[in-house]
Amino acid sequence: MPERIVLYTAKICPYAQRTEIALEEAKAPHVKYQIDLQNKPEWYAPKVNPASKVPAIAYGGPEVPPDQPSPESVKLAESLVLVEFVADLFPESGLLPTDPVLRAKARFFIDGVSTKLVPAWQAYSQGKGPLEDYYKAVEYLQGLLPAHGFAVGQYSIADVAITPFLARARVALINDLGGYPEGEGPKVLEALSSGIGRFARFGKYFTDLLSRESFKATFDEAYITERYKARFANARSK
Amino acid sequence: MAPTEQITLYSADYSPFAQRVRIALEEADVKYTMYEMNTRFIKPEWYYTINPFGKVPALTFGGPNVPPDQPSAESAKLVESMVILEFLADVFPEARLLPADPIQRAKARQFVEIYRNYVFDEFRDAFFRGKPVEGVLAALEKLQDALPPKTGFAAGAWSIADAAVAPLLAGMVLCVRAGIGAYTEENWQKLRAALESETFARFMQYIQDIHERPSFKKTWGNDDLQIEIWQNHPGVRRLRTAENAEGFPGGV
Repeated sequence: MPERIVLYTAKICPYAQRTEIALEEAKAPHVKYQIDLQNKPEWYAPKVNPASKVPAIAYGGPEVPPDQPSPESVKLAESLVLVEFVADLFPESGLLPTDPVLRAKARFFIDGVSTKLVPAWQAYSQGKGPLEDYYKAVEYLQGLLPAHGFAVGQYSIADVAITPFLARARVALINDLGGYPEGEGPKVLEALSSGIGRFARFGKYFTDLLSRESFKATFDEAYITERYKARFANARSK
Repeated sequence: MAPTEQITLYSADYSPFAQRVRIALEEADVKYTMYEMNTRFIKPEWYYTINPFGKVPALTFGGPNVPPDQPSAESAKLVESMVILEFLADVFPEARLLPADPIQRAKARQFVEIYRNYVFDEFRDAFFRGKPVEGVLAALEKLQDALPPKTGFAAGAWSIADAAVAPLLAGMVLCVRAGIGAYTEENWQKLRAALESETFARFMQYIQDIHERPSFKKTWGNDDLQIEIWQNHPGVRRLRTAENAEGFPGGV
């Protein structure tokens, strides 16, 4: 029987949402504690995560309020480590396929998300990288997708890893927020999510990911939209 | 029940990433075929059917027994050394390449993330791009803090976390000893002094433990071979021009 799980998280953070989605998929009882990333509590780095980032999990130990973490709980950080941890604690969640070759495919997909998609999106959304680089990264992942279903067929850690980034890209693009040329956002979103044309397969995948209950339950679109409007307000001013 | 599928590893002696997988295969004590690809930049055409990116390592699993240079469409093709390490841990659970306990597994993976997120870039910057060495030393302290305090490997017992970092950390320490890298003379002395100091005693114990592990010894070759490999690393060689030879310990 898994022990008590306290997740330190922040609604804005795509890495943190990965862990939230995994816990939802596993139907794992857990406590969520929101960390204000602009104003972190002074106990957070010394007592939970020296890197001072979210997500982090305090696992086990006595039942204490999340803002008074006990030295007896095990502290773990790094979003992908935590997703694998949840998959290990709750094997019946199906987060990891049983076939080792499919598990390897899932992890390889995640590697593509980390090394290709996220950097290309960050560059493009800040107006520092070309759209075509972002498109190439998406195309690469599209090439890994099976004809139907999720990244390795059945929903898995691969989908958990990519979803928060696509969802936030969607918020930015649909509101035309970012350093890329004005007006480009909604057109890019249409290309990626319409299910037609160059990204037809990816568009279907995009829709499938954002329809997943575990995603919807952990995504506050209104909050993220508001925060993004403030964050990207001056993204295009020279 | 141990799998009977064929395993072929495409490796190269210049690649610390390939050594990661060789270490894990040795630890698993399983039968495998190793095929050496020793041309760094251009690979034979058939290799791109195994790894479209043309890099090593790659591993084929299953399918008919074929010569390594005639890969079968039926085998699973695995690339990315960390993905391969996790795969081997899954396929050979009795080899305990990862601990059974979820917390210890998380600690092993976290150790690799610390290496990946902090040490790797700083290592590259200090050793290949001539940046100040304070960054890599701070990153190594973070990694050291994640080790069990007195003795043991990343997750206590040996795991793929150690296979992942060992070739690169041992390579880095070797580079400091041999004066290989783009750092100035002054920075070289800082690195040597730091690694010899009490601050990094636990880290250097870990390096020694790595060197003593049979799977590491078998796949490392020897220091002279490794010195040649690191000296000939494209990143190091590119910087060795007449105009910046000055300040290079050991000359051009």
